[in-house]
Formats: sequence, structure tokens, C-alpha cells
Amino acid sequence: MNTSRFFLAGILWMSLLAPGALPQATDNQAALVKQSSIIFAGTVSQVAATSFAGVPKSAQTIVVRVDSVLKKPVAVSLKKGDNVTVEVKDPAAFQEGTQATFYAEGWIFGSGVAVKELGHEIVLSGGTPGAAGTGEKTFGQLQQEISDQDLQRRIATADYVVVGRITDVHQWIIPKSAAARYRTSEHSANWHEAVLQIQSILKGPKIKRSKMIVRFPQSRDVAWVNAPKFEKEQQGIFILKRDQVSGDATASLGGYTVDAYTCLKPGDWLPMIDEARVRSLLKK
Amino acid sequence: MVASAFTPNPISSAGNAPVYVSEDAGNTWILSAITPVQRMTCDITHAMSTGENHPRGDLHAGTLACAASITLDESESDDVSSGAVMNVQSTRTNVDQPFVRALAFSNTDHIYVGVNDLGQSSGRTATVDVSLDGGATYKSHSIESRKTMGQDGPSVRPAVAPDNTVYAAFFGWRKFNGSVATSDVVVVRDDAGATGSQAFQALKDPSDKLPGRLVVKRVSIPWSNAPTLGQERIGSTLSIAVDPNNSSAVYLGWADRGRKGDIYTLHVRRSTDRGVTWSKSDLPHTTISNATNIALAVANNGVAGFLYQQLAGGRWVTHMMQSRDGFATIQDVILASVPADTPVQQFLPYLGDYDYLLAVGNEFRGVFCANNTPDRANFPQGVTYQRTADFNTKTLTDGSDNPVAISIDPFYFSVPVMP
Repeated sequence: MNTSRFFLAGILWMSLLAPGALPQATDNQAALVKQSSIIFAGTVSQVAATSFAGVPKSAQTIVVRVDSVLKKPVAVSLKKGDNVTVEVKDPAAFQEGTQATFYAEGWIFGSGVAVKELGHEIVLSGGTPGAAGTGEKTFGQLQQEISDQDLQRRIATADYVVVGRITDVHQWIIPKSAAARYRTSEHSANWHEAVLQIQSILKGPKIKRSKMIVRFPQSRDVAWVNAPKFEKEQQGIFILKRDQVSGDATASLGGYTVDAYTCLKPGDWLPMIDEARVRSLLKK
Repeated sequence: MVASAFTPNPISSAGNAPVYVSEDAGNTWILSAITPVQRMTCDITHAMSTGENHPRGDLHAGTLACAASITLDESESDDVSSGAVMNVQSTRTNVDQPFVRALAFSNTDHIYVGVNDLGQSSGRTATVDVSLDGGATYKSHSIESRKTMGQDGPSVRPAVAPDNTVYAAFFGWRKFNGSVATSDVVVVRDDAGATGSQAFQALKDPSDKLPGRLVVKRVSIPWSNAPTLGQERIGSTLSIAVDPNNSSAVYLGWADRGRKGDIYTLHVRRSTDRGVTWSKSDLPHTTISNATNIALAVANNGVAGFLYQQLAGGRWVTHMMQSRDGFATIQDVILASVPADTPVQQFLPYLGDYDYLLAVGNEFRGVFCANNTPDRANFPQGVTYQRTADFNTKTLTDGSDNPVAISIDPFYFSVPVMP
């Protein structure tokens, strides 16, 4: 089964309903794709039913036989022929035999998978999934678009986007005035400071000195493990925000007091290979 | 039954963090995304008490969500099988290690949540949040009456007896140099379910007449938020349990730096007079070196259960010990013995900052985490996996027979209470 064909069928259905609103429909599609952790096409086999023990049965739960899987996390076992329980928003929209593409988020995971519907697209009877116009975007294109949209959003909310190299990393000496805020817990961030030598500023006002302080959590506690960690000589693109997390918005750099910045989310640091992509998105 | 670990939502990064739910006495489990935290909790404990009006029991949970700040949610579900997200009843930031116990009353549950309330400006941070109305309202009680080095240790553990006696244990940190805390191990008690205005002051220490019995004074507790005991961090191992039919009998376990060359040693002591006096030294068979994750419970017949995990010979060995005579004689069962060097740590904690044990009828039930290699030799009492695994090739697989890397999984167990 060609998975992308089912997705194209969904887009075709939307365009038939609202031909003049296709750009918006595509945006909605992208939003749905982004929100959804599981997307699959399937055929309703039972209504007001569930597919495995432990899932509460209600008028809103239906069982769908999977025809193809478009998106799923690696950790989830889901393949053609599996039965999935879907808690739908509008049970009246489904009856046995209804074919649809389901956009969903996870709900219950056991001997099977149960999901909650975020959206769906009915495949019209007699519709040919592959008949969508060649101008429609493929699932892969949409995924790339979403990835670009995420990056663009991060760039838009950043105070600085900088190409640079880390010249020093040291533990942040917490000022005595702020020490009371830094009590000990397993979730303590263990703040460190990276001195960032700026090579070019892609976004943000000019800086008097060519260096910035990037404050980052060195802790590998579950609360911080996914935040980027920095090492001396590390180079790349840094998407920075003024520090509103550590509790002190300033840092000391070469005897001067300067603003401190953070770079906390995965993807807030990118390797140099992404420079052209970032520059391109900044122009949009 | 409900169990939890640091299990992320396997399906959705935007969805709720899950708990494990079993409706057939632990034979099968589902992972249900009902906590009020997105994707994965930074800490979670829960309790389920049964009462006349809700024989299935309401689930009460204390969870930490870690984003820019750490947020405690105290939440409730009156039917975990519904799959509905838990109702948040109280929330605040800057706390650590919520540890929940609950006691059912005819109409409402009494809920006791031990937390290290780092927002306490006095530095007396050991706190018990008490709800006497099923979680509708909470009142925070600082249970530290002495000067600290600026805070107490992270673990604050309540224990509740059906006669309304409530104990709580905590580490009173007197000095801290960043890697070692000089700590008292303190027990407080309330004889009326903490319903009065002066809660947890029933037990005073003879040395200073202040509330809180100093069971041991000024022990050295290593604090390391880095792999130290094998790949695990250490510093907050503490447990307390009360006999449900004799609230005068109470057991206390903790870990500190033992002898030279040892990293972390468990100790268990007992009081038979409501915490007024304690055994002068560790109970027999309960001084365990290089071990962590102690969990104590007492069954209806007075048998004490002692769950712990010891690093021995390059393996994490999970023991379930029982005794009817204060550990003078014991039954010691190894639940798991797994390689300690695999998988490589991805985040901390490695196994967990604590595991869990409770007595239900004539069973001790509990949860611990371990390497999930499907190797029957690792589980001497036998094991059943809820995930697909090939015990012949010792390989985990996905639903399509593709191999899956070894990781850390939670394991549920039930052991009959000694007669």
C-alpha cells in the first residue's frame, strides 16, 4: 500500500468541499499533521466498541482496521491489519465500512493502541486515492514544511540568531544575592556558561563586543537532559533568548556586566550545515 | 492498581504523561495517559485508598512537571479506568519529590503528600501537604522545627495507619558542602490525622524538646547528581512504614555513607513505642552496603517487608526481604539480577530515585525498575513481559519482529506475605 496516496485522497476531499480555500485547507492539514502523533488510514470495523481490554467503551469509541500508517512514533507497534480504538469527536460521522484518514494523539497503550481523534478525512465512496492533482503536496513535503515552520517560529521568537564558536565553558558562580533561589534538588540545572565568539549575527542588533554569554544546564537530570550542552570549540548556529530561566538575567564577561542568553530547546543549536536553511528562512 | 515510573508517553510528545493501570490484579497492564503533565513527569507518586462510598478507590497523585520551572500538581481521579485526565486540585512551583499516602474515610479521603518545599523562606523545607477533604483543599505543614543549612533533604516520606496515626520521616540537613550533607534522620508523628492546627508535634526529642525525634544524628549522606553508585545518582534514599494494626510499631530505613570504601549503605531501625525510642543499631540483616531504593511496608499480620536494590558484582540485584521478628530471622528473595552497565545511562535517575512497596491483604506488592533484557536467568522467580520479546535470543522486538534496544523498564511483582 502506498501510504502517501491515502493522504493525498484526504487533501482532494477537502479541495472538493472548499475549492476556493485550498491554501487555508493545506495550512490546516499541516497543523493537523504536526499535532498528530499517529496518522493512519483505515476502515471502521465496529462502532461503539473497543479493540482491547482496558479501554473504556463508549458511544464515541470505534474500532478501525489499519489500511496504512502515515506517521507513528518508533516506539509504537502499528501496521496494516492492526485494529485501533479511536475515540472520535462525532460518532455520527462513522459507520461500519467507513474509510477515513485519522489524525490522532495517543491515549492508551497495552496489547493494542487506542488514540483520540484530532481530525479525520472521510475517503468518499468510489474515490480514487491516487487521483489527487499532482500539484498537491506529498506527506514528506508537508513534514519538511512543518520542520521549517517550527524553526521559523523559534527564529521569530529569538532575540538573537548567531553563527559562532564556543571559546570557553565554565560553571556559573551564583551571586550571593541570588543564592537563596538555588536550593539543592535532583532537578537542579547545574548552570554553566559558554562564552560564544560571534562570527556573524543573523538576527538581532549589533553587539559592542564580539562575545556573548550563553547559560545552559549541564545537569543530566530528566528535567534538563534534552537541553543542548556546549563544549569548547563547538561551532554552529545559536538561537538565543534573553535568560529568563536561571533567575539572573545578567552575566559577567571580561569585567563587564552583559545580558545572559539561553539556548534551551533541542534544535536551538544547529550545526553549520543548516546555515543556508536558516538564512533562507530569515528572508521569508 | 496503578503504577508509575519515568515512563514517557510512547505515542505522543504533546499528550499527557501516562501511568500503568491493571484491573486484573497485575496480570495485564495498560499505559493510560491520564496525568496532568505533558509527555513525561519529572517525579510521580500516587496512592489509592478504598472507602465505603468508593470501593474501587480514588487515585491521588503528586506529579512534578519540569519546564522553565518545576511545578507540583496534586491531582485526583475517581475512576482510573475511564481514561479521563486527572483533575488538578492544587498546584505550586519550587517543590521536590512529592510522596503521596492516602487514607479512606467514609465520605472523603485524607491525603498526605510529603514534599521538600524549596519556597519556604525559613529554610525549614521538609513539609507535608495535608488534605482532609479528598484533595479539595490542602494545607501545608512544615515539619522541621530546627535550624537547617538552608534547606532539608529532598525526601519527605509520610506513613499512615488506619487509626489516624500519621508519621513522617525526613532528612534534617544541618551542613552541606555540595557533595556531602551532614544530616539528622528525623521522624515526626501526629495522632489525629493532622486534623489539628499544631500538626505533627506529638513526638519530641529528649535532647532539645523540639518536635521531631532525632533517630540518628549527623550522619554523612553523599549527594551526587551524577552516576556514582554504578550509573545511578544517590542522596535521598528514605522510607518509613507503620504496622496497620499496631501503630506503635514503625520501621525506618535510610541510606548514608557507610564504612570507608563503601559508597552508600542502607540501614533499618524500628520503634515499638510510637517513635519515642528506636533500636540503638541497625536491625539484623538490614545493613546493606552499596545499595539504594529502599522501600518498607508492614502487612496486616505484622510482617515487615524490605525492598531494595544492591550493586553487587557488576549487577543490580533487587531483593525482597521479609521478617516477622524485626529481621532477626528473614526470608530473602532475589527478584532480579541484571547487568549494571547496560543500557548506558541516558538521563538521571538511572533506575529511579525510589521504588515502591505496599502490603495488600496477604501480599506484598511493589514496583522496581531494571534492565529489560529478556533473559530468564535475570529473574530467578520468573517473569512475564507485556512487550514482545524473544527469550531464546534474549532480544526485545517490535510488533514486526524487528529488534529493539535494551532499556530500563518498570517491573511489577507480588510476593505472598510470610504466615
